[in-house]
Amino acid sequence: MFDRRLVPIILCGLAGATLAAQDTSVMGLRRRADSLATEWRRAEVLASVADSVERERASGGRDTIAVGALRIVANRSPLPLREAGRRAWVVVDSMYGPVAQRLAAQPYVILAFDPDTSARRPVLRVGLEVPWNTTVDALTQLLLANIPLEPLDRRLDDWLGGPLRPRIEGSRDFARVYVRLVTAPSQSARRCFLGDIPSCHMVLDLNESDSAYLEWYPSAAERRALLLRFFNDYFDRPATLTTWRACLHGEDADCTRLIRSLPPSAIPQPLTTDARRLLAHTALRIGGRAAYGRLVADSSDPIGTRLAAAAGVRMDSLLARWRADVVAARPIAVTLPRWGVPAALGWILLLAGCGLRSSRWRVA
Amino acid sequence: MSNAIETESLEYRAGKRFALQRLNLHVPAGSIYGFLGPNGSGKTTTIRLLLALLRPQGGRIRVLDGEMPDDAPRLLARIGFVPEQPHLDVTFTVREILQFQAAFYRTWDARAAEQLLRQFELDDQQLIGRLSKGQKAKVLILLALAQRGDLLVLDEPTDGLDPVVRRDILFALLEYVSQYKATILISSHLVHELERICDWIGVLDDGRLLTETPMATLKNGIKRLRVRHAPAAIGTAPFAVLARHAANGGAEAAVSETWVVRDWAPEMASYFDGIGASLEDVIDLDLEDSFVELLHASREHAGRS
Amino acid sequence: MFRAILYSQWKWSRLIIAVGTIAGFALPLVSLQGAARADRSPLEAEALLHAVQAWGVLYPLLAAALGLLVAIVTWAPDHRGRHIHALTLPLPRWRYVLLRFATGATVLAVPILAVGIGALIAVAAATLPPGLHGYPLALALRFALAALVAYALFFAVSAGTARTAGIILGVIGAIVVVQVFASVANVELNLADHLQTVLTNWPGPLAVFTGRWMLIDV
Repeated sequence: MFDRRLVPIILCGLAGATLAAQDTSVMGLRRRADSLATEWRRAEVLASVADSVERERASGGRDTIAVGALRIVANRSPLPLREAGRRAWVVVDSMYGPVAQRLAAQPYVILAFDPDTSARRPVLRVGLEVPWNTTVDALTQLLLANIPLEPLDRRLDDWLGGPLRPRIEGSRDFARVYVRLVTAPSQSARRCFLGDIPSCHMVLDLNESDSAYLEWYPSAAERRALLLRFFNDYFDRPATLTTWRACLHGEDADCTRLIRSLPPSAIPQPLTTDARRLLAHTALRIGGRAAYGRLVADSSDPIGTRLAAAAGVRMDSLLARWRADVVAARPIAVTLPRWGVPAALGWILLLAGCGLRSSRWRVA
Repeated sequence: MSNAIETESLEYRAGKRFALQRLNLHVPAGSIYGFLGPNGSGKTTTIRLLLALLRPQGGRIRVLDGEMPDDAPRLLARIGFVPEQPHLDVTFTVREILQFQAAFYRTWDARAAEQLLRQFELDDQQLIGRLSKGQKAKVLILLALAQRGDLLVLDEPTDGLDPVVRRDILFALLEYVSQYKATILISSHLVHELERICDWIGVLDDGRLLTETPMATLKNGIKRLRVRHAPAAIGTAPFAVLARHAANGGAEAAVSETWVVRDWAPEMASYFDGIGASLEDVIDLDLEDSFVELLHASREHAGRS
Repeated sequence: MFRAILYSQWKWSRLIIAVGTIAGFALPLVSLQGAARADRSPLEAEALLHAVQAWGVLYPLLAAALGLLVAIVTWAPDHRGRHIHALTLPLPRWRYVLLRFATGATVLAVPILAVGIGALIAVAAATLPPGLHGYPLALALRFALAALVAYALFFAVSAGTARTAGIILGVIGAIVVVQVFASVANVELNLADHLQTVLTNWPGPLAVFTGRWMLIDV
């Protein structure tokens, strides 16, 4: 009754229907994604408008302080805004160069308030709330930490681990990097410390490689130590237990497999992002006022190329300069401050004198 | 005669209850001066003042050729001191304490120290803390004597010791005085002991010096007299009357009295004829009885005044 | 006189000095155990510094303990004898106290030297990872100062009378009472914290004890 020749036709028809249905699902998802992207763009526009409106509202009825290209809109208060702005501008101008002129269109909005009063103050949705008793140094740091320049491109931002802010010169940053270079559990870091520039290349991840961890921790012992220190609890679970135990017993292939299973950003770097930011600052310092512009000019170039372009020197030279600054900032091991010896001796003599002068030794 | 120790109106108050009051002490040089007094009379306090362990609140102290406490370091080099309680570190051996002491005294006589070690039969390797009470006392005496000081100050040095040890110590002291003509101030409440060796005696009670006199004078000068028909008022007597008591009970009590007198001499018997009384008997008192009578008289007088 | 008092000081404190000397000599060697390996693996540096820092806590404790114990035994026999022997010695009292202080500081030189020698040997025998350096002399100097400050402090306290102790306790008690009243009255006052800051930060007397005690550092 039922013709068997119809089966393949029915089957083909079912397959075709399924495929058509799948194709419909994909297209549906694509349409939903497009719709979401459209909504997102609309929301972004609305948010910008809202921000602008809010900024206008916040700026209304307030004084504007202009220092260089910095614009600070604030209510009247005892805050030393002009002085802080002057100090901040020196740093900003030297770091950003001509790019800093864009700040004229991006004012700071500051609401200064009296910290000793409990009176209600208006809600500020954009800008900074700053108490009146903020010192000029703290205010300067605040302005530098909140530079209203457009953010860096994602690639550079990811490499730096955040925005590139101006820094007040100090050797403590380099000292921290020195300590890290000396103590990081990585052969590459140690070789960089000893002067091997290609190793510095590796530990700063200038190649932006997904398997950078193999360069950072080239030996099996380093990889095992890395996992033990940072991922002991994470891999000690049923899904990875066998591999984990094999790794602990010295199977490097298992250790490498476990590391590969982690997202690249989760693998601890031998040097913290401080080191990368200092490299960027070194490049800007060497490159002069136009360096920042060259750094952000082409976001498609590799990081190393961009840094070298900013500095105006070869990458190896830049790295050598950076390494020299780090080595020169070797922190002094503080076993005793310089005047610790006279201070301690003074206390010894004073206390001994107290013993001598005790009433027991004076005739009662 | 010069004095090895001299105090002038010495005053010291310890707390609210006890005070040394205007103490005028005179210890003749070369004498053995017995410092007698009941417990709590101020003997140890006086000694501490003499050695600059305490600062007086009034008066002056002269010891040897200097003033205390101003010249204390210089004078202490010439003074041997034996305290009431042993004050030496118990972890030292006898030998070690001798060596320690020798380092501080230029006049230290090592040979004398060795001789005294043998004389006192002390084991020089024995720890101070393991010595018996008598042995500790001997060590303290040894240290004081080996210093070859001009003055020895001994605060109850034989208290609680057996007779053999006491004898050994007293013998050593006498030998020292005869050889070196040193002055010894020895405080004690053991009257018989002082009676044997002292040639001067000072009696202290409640912070006041009752008497200070050669030993013979005190011993011979205090008598108990039995007197009959003595008038109530007796006027000025050639001797000091320390006490007058009626005779015990009966009809005799009305006419007979017992007098305790000081500074008695036999020729004073004629005094009673002058007042219409008769002297029945003169009884000698030993030092202990003399001391007790002196105290009673002093306390009665203080109570009355 | 100095020799006689030094002998007595030595006699009273020899056990403390012996134990302190052994501990002081061993501490640097133990803290650097494992550093003598020649492979200079990069894994060593951070672990080595952590180990050195952890062991480093024992230096100020040892210094304080030595100072305290030597000061106590300096005066304990005199306290037992109510100071009569000392006060009847034929020398000015200040000189006697000075001699006692000096001899106590002299016997403390033995464990201090032990720390210095131990540190020198430990650093010489160790193969340090690149970038790390040894500071044996600076550590020994700091140990010396800490031990002497502790000794001087407890020496002064022990040399004092019961009245002095009462004054010190009274001051501490007053601080506590003021603190309690302040907290009851809701007044922001933290005397104990201020006092701690004054004492433990330079140039306070206890500042030499605080901070990291690192035989090896960058």
